[in-house]
Amino acid sequence: MIHLENISVEYRLKSERVLALRNLNLHILEGSFEAIMGPSGSGKTTLIQLIAGLLTPTAGDVIVSGENLNRLDDEKISAFRNRTIGFVFQFFNLPSYYTAVDNVALPLVFAGVDERARRERARNLLTEFGLQERLDHKPDQLSGGEAQRVAIARALITNPKIILADEPTGNLDRDTGAHVMDLLQKINRERGVTVLMVTHDEKAAAFAQRVIRIEKGELV
Amino acid sequence: MTTQKLGLRKKRAAFAIISMALGVIVVVTANSLMEGVRDVAIKTIWTEEIDPDVVRVYAGQNPYEFMPPDEGQPPKAQKRIQYLSESVFDVIRGWSEVAAADRPVAAQPVSISGLDKRPQGIAELQGVPEALLLRYVTDRALVTGSTNAIPLVVGEREVRLRYDEKRGKLEDDPAGEKTWLGREVTIVLGDNYARLSHFSYDYSKRQFTPVGEDDLTAQRDTLERGFRTQFDTTIYNTTLSLKGRVVGFCPGNRVLIPFDAAVLCEKWIDQRNQLALRNPPRNTNQVAYGERGRRGPKTGEYTEGLVIVKPGANIEAVAKRIEDMGFSVATRARTFESQARAFDSSVRIVKEVALAFGALILALSCGLVWSTTSKTVSDSRADIGLFRSLGATKREIRRLFLGEAVLQGVIGTVCGMLLGWALALTVSHWVLGYARREVLDPEEALLIPDTIFSLNIRFCLLLVVGIALVSLLAGLLPANRAANVDPVKALKRE
Repeated sequence: MIHLENISVEYRLKSERVLALRNLNLHILEGSFEAIMGPSGSGKTTLIQLIAGLLTPTAGDVIVSGENLNRLDDEKISAFRNRTIGFVFQFFNLPSYYTAVDNVALPLVFAGVDERARRERARNLLTEFGLQERLDHKPDQLSGGEAQRVAIARALITNPKIILADEPTGNLDRDTGAHVMDLLQKINRERGVTVLMVTHDEKAAAFAQRVIRIEKGELV
Repeated sequence: MTTQKLGLRKKRAAFAIISMALGVIVVVTANSLMEGVRDVAIKTIWTEEIDPDVVRVYAGQNPYEFMPPDEGQPPKAQKRIQYLSESVFDVIRGWSEVAAADRPVAAQPVSISGLDKRPQGIAELQGVPEALLLRYVTDRALVTGSTNAIPLVVGEREVRLRYDEKRGKLEDDPAGEKTWLGREVTIVLGDNYARLSHFSYDYSKRQFTPVGEDDLTAQRDTLERGFRTQFDTTIYNTTLSLKGRVVGFCPGNRVLIPFDAAVLCEKWIDQRNQLALRNPPRNTNQVAYGERGRRGPKTGEYTEGLVIVKPGANIEAVAKRIEDMGFSVATRARTFESQARAFDSSVRIVKEVALAFGALILALSCGLVWSTTSKTVSDSRADIGLFRSLGATKREIRRLFLGEAVLQGVIGTVCGMLLGWALALTVSHWVLGYARREVLDPEEALLIPDTIFSLNIRFCLLLVVGIALVSLLAGLLPANRAANVDPVKALKRE
């Protein structure tokens, strides 16, 4: 499903060269639930940005669903992200001027789905997630747990094969975090979506089938 | 994509839209009105003074020539002035197309008993050939058979006004027209005090109100100061009283008298001319009678003539023949063209100024569109990063910001256009109201249209498209910057 082969990512910070990832090889199976753990600055987020095609490696190949992301142009990589990847962020990233329905429908805008259909799909998904009372609420009218469920709904709206979650419980209390993890696990099991989650939280990592540990840009 | 929005920076966008609208208001208002103003002005200001079958002939320059066709070329050397004379009129009378050719006798200022307390003084008394006079007179017998009085033709609008002594104001008197027909009056030629304005127009009440004694005294003093600089004191005391009778109404603010009667006052005019020549004006380069540096007309020579062509005759051919004799000519068509040229020139200048002003505001607005879009891009970096992570292409991001830039331009243009039309309609209403109030001649009043507002759809469409394009250009740079935002950095910042 996801193959990272001899991946190195290097960038410059002022005049200093920083090696974010070095010669990293990783294979992730379809339908798996994996947690990536490591200290801050170890390269966890860089890893999921590579898999999303947001970042191009300095060396090596990123192959996702048979596509070598290095070889795709902007149109194709954007279409790939839209169809194959769903993002869940620590701070939800829900634009404050959109309602819950509009936020969830957002990826469908870029998929070219017409407004009525995308709002219908967004409403159905939010209802499935128990947010039928919050459809027209703006993000600041939602609790942290509700906002993260809206964000997960947005990640799922295009039926992606992979969900990349960056610290999905990092901004939530323990109970709410546990509910979010339950939801991600359910999605993984019932929909067969591959979940790759960056976390510092051992309890959250416990929901994963495998924990990948990374330090100083290398797997440990 | 179209229904999703980034949310314009409201205050900044409103400022850009308002500025854009202001520029458009100026351009659209000028564009919607200038053609109509030109049309009304050309039709009503001078053209109607010349009857369609009359050629006015001048020994000197044609006063109805507002802008010569060869504008821009150096003026030709002026020939020695050639005056009209009976022999010249005899030649013209001999042409088969001509019904009458004669000299007019004009005198001003003029006062007429019963009309001395009127809003505006009589402009001029003209002695004209009977053929011209007869068209204004309902009963021919009153002209040809009149022996005890000089038949008069006075402007219609003035005689419709009735002065109410008790209320102390002039009022419309629709029946007044008939009451004046046949009335005996005294005409005083050379009554300089006829120039005094006894009434002022009160715009708030929309009526004429009598001016006070102090105002009249001040006006009298001003007039007398004018006499002292221009004439010897004996001249403005030289008046001639004539008996007259109202027999009809003519267009224009004039009083016409038949030619035979005009002979009576010709001596008076000669006397004034002689006095003026003997007493040259002080502190001025202008003389009232005769042109400086040229010999004045001798007895039997005239500076003006009137030629009336027969129905169906080619008036322009007659005018050309008279012109070939070395005189200046004015016809209604030529005056119309000359006025049109003069107004076109003015309209062009007004339009250019309006366009320049509008362009300046539009340029400023485009700067504001650019600034608003730039600010939106800066403030929306996190959103751009999010959109990119959700699958938005660079092209879609660019289009989103360009759309907002164009939207500002189009909203500003449409608002400005609607307001511009509203303003133009209001101005049209106001101008025509003013014109109807001020125009004294009924024939002229008929030429005033219902509106001077015109809708130039092609221009408006071009304006919308043009501003949309300019807004697009203004938004291009910030939109490109948005498209090239690195999503990794943008998301990290969030």
